[in-house]
Amino acid sequence: MTEQTTIMPLDDVRVLDLTHLAAGPFCTRILGDYGADVIKIERRETGDPSRGLPPFYKDEPGTERSGLFMFLNTNKRSVTLDLKSDRGRELVLELARDADVVVESFAPGTMDALGLGYVALKAANPRLVLTSISNYGKTGPYRDYLGMDINLYGMGGNMIGAGDFDHEPVKTAGRMVNYHAGYVAALATSLSLTSVELDGQSEQLDISVFETATHSIDGRLGRLMGYEHNGHLSSRPTRAAAVASGAHPCKDGYFLITGGARFLPNIIRMIGMEELLGKPEYATPAARANPDLIDEFLAHLIPWTLDRTKAELRVEAEKHGVLGGPLNTIEDLLNDESFVAREYFQEIDHPTTGPVKYPGYHFVLHRPDGEDGAEISMPKRRRAPLLGEHTDEVLSGALGLSVGEIERLRADRVI
Amino acid sequence: MTNGTTGTNGRKKLPLEGLRILDITVVWAGPYGTMHLADWGAEVIRIESTSHFATSSRGTMARPPKAMVALRAGGMGYPDDEPGERPWNRNAIFNTHARHKKSVTLDMTVPEGQEIFERLIKNSDGLIENNVAISMERLGVTWERLSEINPRLILIRQPAFGIEGPYKNYRTWGNHMEALAGHPLLRTYPNEDPARGPSGVPSDAAGGIGGALAFLMGLRYRNKTGKGVMIEAPTAENFIPLMGEFVMDYTMNGRVHTQLGNQHPYFAPHQAYRCKDAEGAVPGETERWVTIVCRSDAEFQALCGIMEAPGLALDARFSGALERWKHRSELDALVSQWTSDKDPSDLAHRLQDAGIAAGMIMNERDVLNDPHVKERGFFQEVTHPEAGTHQNPTYGVKLSKTPNEIRRHAVLLGQDNEYVYKEVAGHSDDEYKHFVETGMAGMDYAENVS
Repeated sequence: MTEQTTIMPLDDVRVLDLTHLAAGPFCTRILGDYGADVIKIERRETGDPSRGLPPFYKDEPGTERSGLFMFLNTNKRSVTLDLKSDRGRELVLELARDADVVVESFAPGTMDALGLGYVALKAANPRLVLTSISNYGKTGPYRDYLGMDINLYGMGGNMIGAGDFDHEPVKTAGRMVNYHAGYVAALATSLSLTSVELDGQSEQLDISVFETATHSIDGRLGRLMGYEHNGHLSSRPTRAAAVASGAHPCKDGYFLITGGARFLPNIIRMIGMEELLGKPEYATPAARANPDLIDEFLAHLIPWTLDRTKAELRVEAEKHGVLGGPLNTIEDLLNDESFVAREYFQEIDHPTTGPVKYPGYHFVLHRPDGEDGAEISMPKRRRAPLLGEHTDEVLSGALGLSVGEIERLRADRVI
Repeated sequence: MTNGTTGTNGRKKLPLEGLRILDITVVWAGPYGTMHLADWGAEVIRIESTSHFATSSRGTMARPPKAMVALRAGGMGYPDDEPGERPWNRNAIFNTHARHKKSVTLDMTVPEGQEIFERLIKNSDGLIENNVAISMERLGVTWERLSEINPRLILIRQPAFGIEGPYKNYRTWGNHMEALAGHPLLRTYPNEDPARGPSGVPSDAAGGIGGALAFLMGLRYRNKTGKGVMIEAPTAENFIPLMGEFVMDYTMNGRVHTQLGNQHPYFAPHQAYRCKDAEGAVPGETERWVTIVCRSDAEFQALCGIMEAPGLALDARFSGALERWKHRSELDALVSQWTSDKDPSDLAHRLQDAGIAAGMIMNERDVLNDPHVKERGFFQEVTHPEAGTHQNPTYGVKLSKTPNEIRRHAVLLGQDNEYVYKEVAGHSDDEYKHFVETGMAGMDYAENVS
C-alpha cells in the first residue's frame, strides 16, 4: 500500500474516459483535477483527434505537439484500444466493471452500435454513472445534426444580442460553448456519483451541448424569463443602453465601464465632477435614466479616461466603487499582477515543450490536512499522457493481464 | 405550497436532500450555482435583509423608477414592464434562479442579526458567497470564525479575483472581470474599433457551475475526513480555462490572439449570414441570421450544390481548405448574398440534412417555439404568486433517475422567515414575534431602501 498523505474529493473514483475533442475531455480533465483516476481510451496510432489540432508547439504538427491536447488532458492515463474489435470491446467492459464513471462523447447511437450502450455497461457494473455528451442530446429532432461552437452558440446562447448593431452577431471565443458543456457534465457527473452512493443504482446522463448553452452559457436563462414577462427580444444595441456604459478609449487601450442611473454617482465622483450631482438632471435615479444624458456625459468621461492608462483606471474604479475593467490581451493576463501574485498559472513539464504555463485550477480546496491543521496545498498536475503511455500499466494493474496476454493483444492490433 | 408544485406525491428522494446551505450570493454567478444545488434537493436558504438591498440580486434597485424600467437596461424584465407593489419579487433574472430556494430576512450588520446568523451556521452544512473580501470581513464571514462555530462547515467563496491577493477588494461584475481576463478583446470584430464588441457573461455561467461543483467536492472531502473545508473559487480563475488554447499558444509560442470575431483558425465558410427579415416593428428584433460552417471539401461541394452555384464549386479561389480560408471575405460575401432572401430556419434544416453544420441564430421567441427544445421538455409552466404564470426554463441536463421538474416557484423576500427563525435558528414564538415587530423579519424592504 502506498501511503496516503493528502485527501482529494475524488481520489476513490475511477473514470473510464471514452471522450475526444473538446467537451468530453474538458469534463474528465476537471474530474482528474479533483483526484479521479482518469483512464483515457484513445484510438490506436492516431489517438484523440485533438492531438492533430493547433496550437502546436513551435507550429509544427505532431502527435505529441498539440497545446490543445496537452491542456485538455492533464492528470489522465492513456490507453490505446480498438473499440471495434471484439476483444477491445470486452476490455472496455472489464475496465467499466471497476470504474465508477464512464464518460463518452460519441454521436448518439454509436455506443449502442459498438455494443457498449447503457444496457451493456449497466450489466457489467450496476453502480455505474454513464455520462453521454453530444451536440443536441440523445433525443429530439436535431439529435443527428452537426454541431460547432458557432452554431451551438447561435442557437443556444445570446448571440443575437452579442456585438454591434451594424455588424454580424459574434460568437464567444474558441471552443467556449463546448467547454461550458464539459464543465456542466462534470457537475452533473459528480451529483450522480452522490446519487449512486445513496441508492446503489446506476444512472445515465444525457448532456446536450445545445441545452447547456441555452441553460446558459451567458445569462440566456434570465432573458428567456424576461421575454416571458414582457415580450422583450434581445438584439444588438444601436447605442450605449445606459449612461456612461461602454468600452471607453484610454491612454493604452480601452476600459469597460458599467454605468446607468443607479451607478452613475460613483462614476461622477471618480472623475471629480461632484458638482453635477447638485444639478436636477443628475440628482435622482429617475433623472439620470434620461437617454439624452448619454452623449452629454461621455463628453465629460472620455477626456478623463484618455488621460489615464488601463492600470490607473482599474485602481480608480476600485477606489470609487465603479464597475469597470481593462480590455486586456491574453499576454496582459499572463503578466497581470493578481494572477502572478497568486501563482495562478501552473508550470507543467512535458517532453516536447519543457516547462510551460497552463491555466490553473478552477477552484482550490484549502485542506487542513497538515500537522496541527496546517493547510496542504493543491497537488501539482501531471502532464497530458503520450499516446498509449499507460496501456501496459493499466492492463496489468487494473485488469491483471500478464505480459504474454498484453503482447498477444498488441500483435492482434487490439491495443 | 400548492402553486408551482408538481409531482410531490410519491416523489423520489433527491440526491442532496437533507443538506442545508446558506446563500449570501449576489448578481448571477453565485445564485446560479446555488440554483443547481436547490434544484437537486439541498435546502438553500437565502439570507436577505429588509434594510439593505443586495446589489443586482432582486433587480438593480428595490423600487426602480418607471423611467429606468422603460429602458429595460440592467436586467429589468418585470412582467408587462410593471415593477408592481413588490418589484423585488417580480424580477426576471432573480425569478429564474431562485426557484426551490428559501428566503429569510435578517440584518447581518447588527449584533442581533449576527447572533441569528451564528445559530444558522451551527445548523447548516454549507455557506456560499460571491463578494469581495472586505465586504465579507465586515459581516464576519471568515473561515477562522465560521469553522470555530461549525467545524464541519463547507465554505465556498467566489470573489472575482480571490480572497487574498492584490485584487481581493476589487469589485466587478462578470463582464469587467472577463475584460481583464481577455475574453472581449479575443472575441470582438477583426479590424474594427474594439469598443464595438460584445460584452457577455460566460464567466458568470461558469462561476455558477464552479460554485456548485465546489460544494459537491467539499461534501466528498467532508465525508472522507469528517472535517469541513473552505474552497476558494475566484470567478476569474475559474473562467480562464475556458480560453485554454489561447493561453497555451501564448505560453508555448508567444502568439497573442486578438479580435477573432467569427473567424475560425482554419475553416471557411465559418460565419453568421444575414437572412430575410422577419415581420415586426422593433428594429433589431426583426433581424434573422444563419450560421454556416464547412469543415471539408465535401461539405463545401454540398453547400455549392444547395446554392445551385456550380461555378462556385469550380472557382480556384475556393478549391481546398486553405484557399477558402485565404479568400474567406469574398466567400462570405457570396454566401451572404445567397442567404439574404431566405428563411434562416428552413435554410438551417436543409443544410443540416445535407450534412453541413448550420443553425438559425435564435432569439428568445425562437427558443420557446423550437420543436427540439419542446420535445426535450426544456420549459415548464410555473405560477408565481406575484409575477404570474410563465414558461420557466427547467434543467440544463437530463439525469435518468433524478426528477427534472420545478417543484416550487422563485422565493418571495422573507417567505420562509417563520420556518428559519423557529425551526433552524431555534427561536421561540415570542422571540420570532419580536423580530417581526422590529422589522428584521419581514417581506418588504424598509421604506428608505432604494
